Amino acid sequence: MRIITHTCSACGTVVAANELEDNRVMKCPGLGCQEVLRFDDLSEDAREHFLDHRDRYQI
Amino acid sequence: MKGVLLSGGTGSRLRPITHTGPKQLVPVANRPVLEYAIEDLKEAGITEIGVILGNKGRNEIQELLGDGSDYGVEITYIVQGNPLGLAHAAGCARDFVGNDDFVMYLGDNILKSGVTELVESFQAGDYGAGIALQEVDDPQAFGIADVDDAGNVTQLIEKPDDPPTNLALIGMYVFSPTIFDAIDNLEPSWRGELEITDAIQDLFEDGYEIDSHVVTGWWKDTGKPEDILEANRLVLEDKKLKTAGVVEDGATTDGRIELAESAVIEDGAVVRGPVSIAENTTLMSGTYVGPYTSVGADSTLENIHIENSVIIGDSEITANGRIVDSLLGRGANVGSADELLPEGRRLVVGENSQLKL
Ligand SMILES: [Zn+2]
Repeated sequence: MRIITHTCSACGTVVAANELEDNRVMKCPGLGCQEVLRFDDLSEDAREHFLDHRDRYQI
Repeated sequence: MKGVLLSGGTGSRLRPITHTGPKQLVPVANRPVLEYAIEDLKEAGITEIGVILGNKGRNEIQELLGDGSDYGVEITYIVQGNPLGLAHAAGCARDFVGNDDFVMYLGDNILKSGVTELVESFQAGDYGAGIALQEVDDPQAFGIADVDDAGNVTQLIEKPDDPPTNLALIGMYVFSPTIFDAIDNLEPSWRGELEITDAIQDLFEDGYEIDSHVVTGWWKDTGKPEDILEANRLVLEDKKLKTAGVVEDGATTDGRIELAESAVIEDGAVVRGPVSIAENTTLMSGTYVGPYTSVGADSTLENIHIENSVIIGDSEITANGRIVDSLLGRGANVGSADELLPEGRRLVVGENSQLKL
């Protein structure tokens, strides 16, 4: 299963795509980081793959 | 070599203790379990550590570990979110790990001998992965490895009916970056998780050698209250304990006692080690603290007789009675009902608490 992540450009915290997709727009979970992360920050290819297999990233 | 430290999970078997925080921060001998893992990695020469966070306790873990500089390591946080399995957690660390080998360490595990030998054994050959094993009495309850005479793994079986060995996988692994390709090709198991044992099995089937290292010292998964007590006992048994606080004249002490600088054992209290007493805690007259007990910070004990127990901290325990084999969460208070009528115990007990009266 392809695992998709995004790295916050401000603090370096890595966030899994399932977390981004849950929220769509979220404050970076890095403590004290004010950066806003979006599911749309992922590449189009990554987003498409994730959405095509969305059920696998839930539990 | 990098480290990937797993700090997710729900901690459901440790409720109510974990209603307010992650299980990896439950203290053993007055230190959060997770700190032992950081120290073990550092001792093995690993200073770049990715800490995997689940849905729970993210801020508490980041507040404790910070950027790692207090521990002499560099920490990157990796938010896994949904608990999709150990292999998913490892896969989330791919960008962090890059082309290095890495140790994967379950953050609620604690072991006597650290991971240095596991790492050295892996580095001595050309392995796809290395796994830590320990002999267990009930192999049917574990993931079990079969190994050849050279210590190379030939088979991994989850909870076998007919176990070929009694060598159980404990939560420590070393991986070469090839594991990421194996994870990419995995399908979720029947329970909807990406299983790390499936990824290792795939490496093996692709022709990679899998090293094993049998851990001989104790190992504890601290998932349940009795495991915390047992880990506390094992650590107190092994740890160097230093008495820095005040032991008043008239106090009786015996055995090894860790007493924080601001902690006091007052006149008339009795303490028998090994025990650990944290900062700003006072043991007043009439208190007995027996072996294998840790009392957390900012607590007061009076009249109580307590042994083989963990008090996490911020507690007032003033009942006249005996407490044994107990785990008390932060801010839990135990007073006396002796003077109260009608006679009987009075409880304000949180969800999922367990009491034996
Ligand atoms: Zn950030």
